[in-house]
Amino acid sequence: MSAANLRPFCRLRVAYATICAAAILSLGLALCGSSSAATLEEIKKRGYMVVTTEDDYRPFEFVQDGKPTGFDNELLELLRKEMPFEIKQEIIPWTGLLAGVSTGKYDVAVTAALITKERAQSLDFTMPIADATHYFVKRKGDTRIKDIADLNGKVLGIQAGSGLLQRLPELETMLAKTGGKIAKVVEYTSYPEAYQDLALKRTDFVINTVINLQALVNEKPEVFELGLPVTGKSYPAWAVKKGNTELLAAMNGFLGEQRKNGTMSKLQQKWFGKTFADLPESWTPEF
Amino acid sequence: MSRGDVVSLLQGAMVTIALSVTGILFGLVLGLSLALCRWARVPGVSQLVAAYVSVVRATPLVTLSLLIFFAIPSFGIEIDAVPAAILALTLNTAAFNCEIWRAGLIDFPATQLEATRAFGMSPFLAFRRIIFPQVWKTCLPGLVNEMTLLVKSSPAIAVVGVVDITRAAARIGAQTYEPLPPFLLATALYFIVILVFVRVQRTLEARISEEPGAA
Repeated sequence: MSAANLRPFCRLRVAYATICAAAILSLGLALCGSSSAATLEEIKKRGYMVVTTEDDYRPFEFVQDGKPTGFDNELLELLRKEMPFEIKQEIIPWTGLLAGVSTGKYDVAVTAALITKERAQSLDFTMPIADATHYFVKRKGDTRIKDIADLNGKVLGIQAGSGLLQRLPELETMLAKTGGKIAKVVEYTSYPEAYQDLALKRTDFVINTVINLQALVNEKPEVFELGLPVTGKSYPAWAVKKGNTELLAAMNGFLGEQRKNGTMSKLQQKWFGKTFADLPESWTPEF
Repeated sequence: MSRGDVVSLLQGAMVTIALSVTGILFGLVLGLSLALCRWARVPGVSQLVAAYVSVVRATPLVTLSLLIFFAIPSFGIEIDAVPAAILALTLNTAAFNCEIWRAGLIDFPATQLEATRAFGMSPFLAFRRIIFPQVWKTCLPGLVNEMTLLVKSSPAIAVVGVVDITRAAARIGAQTYEPLPPFLLATALYFIVILVFVRVQRTLEARISEEPGAA
């Protein structure tokens, strides 16, 4: 076929490409427009609030025999009794969770979302519900790793989109002091996959909050062993869309009450195996 | 794995089957309609269909699901997880079905078309009596293939919060830290579902070959 014969096809293709690009672009532009999360007033008027929880974030939220359970789900049960409106719960994987709150699909993320600088641009966080200083976990009996410096040349497994990714430089700085470096960072959709790969020796250590790792080690003491802290202070909290101040205040009111009446520590003891008495009222993230 | 876990997996299987079958039925009809628009070269519509097929074929199902679930509400339309999942599956499979149907239509003998005109058949009647009864047989293997692909890509819809076989298995793995049993069972469940589709295809093909005048 000569070039002249091909020309109409080329023109057609350009036309298609233009149409497609235009369609995608206009959709994108439409997305930039306002999508509003319901304010407290709107929630009261319509009679219900939509919260979202994760489905495999033990011990905060997970599903056992088809029923949601864990620390946040127990708090949610209490919240249902306190609030004068109905609370609808959507259980979804981590991937779309915070995006769902920042786009207004859900009103509150009842999950342990780490407070980070980046997230604080699109979300407002409640008071911390726990301490989430990060530790590493290794395979039981892996004698190669005794100290932070031993993480040099080892493969790290971590959850993609997890707040810790932004704090990895902290660990890298710690390692650099002794001339060390992480060999490779493998990102997983969710932590359970990261743990499974650690057990399968595809990675050497996984970093997560001390709570999650303590729960993991309590559950499988013959497989995993808790290591050392790898970051400074960090806290997880619930989140609402940025600027939804009244709803945030209502959630803070509820959580503050649970701290005062001792329910919070009771639940922390039950699900994390320890209590966090000195949690701040609010937290401005450094990372 | 507890009995409750097995029940969750079986419930996941029901979700996978129900959503896939719904998606397939809508997708078959929509795909055929789109293919007819292109085949008949309906001005304007034909180009739009071609553009639609290009976009959807280039979009991973996960992306499409997230787009539908989180983007449509910003146009002021509320959509729940299940309708969003069905819409994503339908839009996805319709694009591929369109091309399969179109292949069958393009291949349809022109002599027969001329014959229908010579008999004074309306285009609608010609389609119902002459074209469709032959074209669906040509397209059957391709269509069933696409159906099995749809079932296997369906875990993508879990991102909007629908608990299908794979998500149920992942949840159990996350809770027990033992991924092997739930994923083995999940694999077995998919195998059974796909087997049913292939069986139906074989049965239909056997029927076709028994018909008088079959090649």
